[in-house]
Amino acid sequence: MASSQTLPQAETRTELALTGAWRVVVLNDPVSLMSYVVLVFKKVFGFDEQTARRKMLEVHEQGRSIVWSGLREKAEAYVFTLQQWHLTAVLEPDETH
Amino acid sequence: MKRIEVKLALPVVAPLLDVIKELADNLRKNLAAPIALQDLDTDFHAAWVDELLVTQNDEVQTLLSLFDDEFFSEGLVAFDEKNAEVIVRACAAIRLRLRERYLKALGDETLESGDLDLNALDEHLRKAFMCYLFLATIQELIIQHLDESILGS
Repeated sequence: MASSQTLPQAETRTELALTGAWRVVVLNDPVSLMSYVVLVFKKVFGFDEQTARRKMLEVHEQGRSIVWSGLREKAEAYVFTLQQWHLTAVLEPDETH
Repeated sequence: MKRIEVKLALPVVAPLLDVIKELADNLRKNLAAPIALQDLDTDFHAAWVDELLVTQNDEVQTLLSLFDDEFFSEGLVAFDEKNAEVIVRACAAIRLRLRERYLKALGDETLESGDLDLNALDEHLRKAFMCYLFLATIQELIIQHLDESILGS
């Protein structure tokens, strides 16, 4: 009986994880050049110069910046792409949605 | 095709290549920026690492290929739409590894500002820091002189 009660809860959690919104958060590192981070943001997220610079400065000054929010699968794809550019990113649940 | 050629000072740059090659070897099996995502499925994580390592190694080999016969005879290296993006990324990877292996002791503020008396460093550390600055210079050159159409979008 216990297992039959546990399984639906796990399924519910999984479903929430897949359907809820997630934030892609880029973390600061002391190595990446500011101009490089701006370039990456423009290329990966399609930001204009002003937005890319603002996000880069958030990373530089606050240690992190939320650069995208949406479905988990796409958020993971963005993290992977950022890794290809050697930037460190994590995901966190977007509780504003 | 838009292309920039840069003439480098051989006596300054050639000694740095040993450092770059050593770090390139180290990056064969290690990601420059380890995956920080905590809750990634184990199989997924392994697949990511494999794929990222392949890309990373291709990038680093492209960077090393700049230093060919033409470089050793004329001091020239060239960037164009075929190699620009890959080399910018390779420089980022090597610089991250330089910090991990040699430069952590300098402190992150120093690494961010680049404000340092080179003469105060021992030879090994000086060489690593010069390599760090050299790769940053290549990145800046490419980002400043090759427009977005070349760097892709």
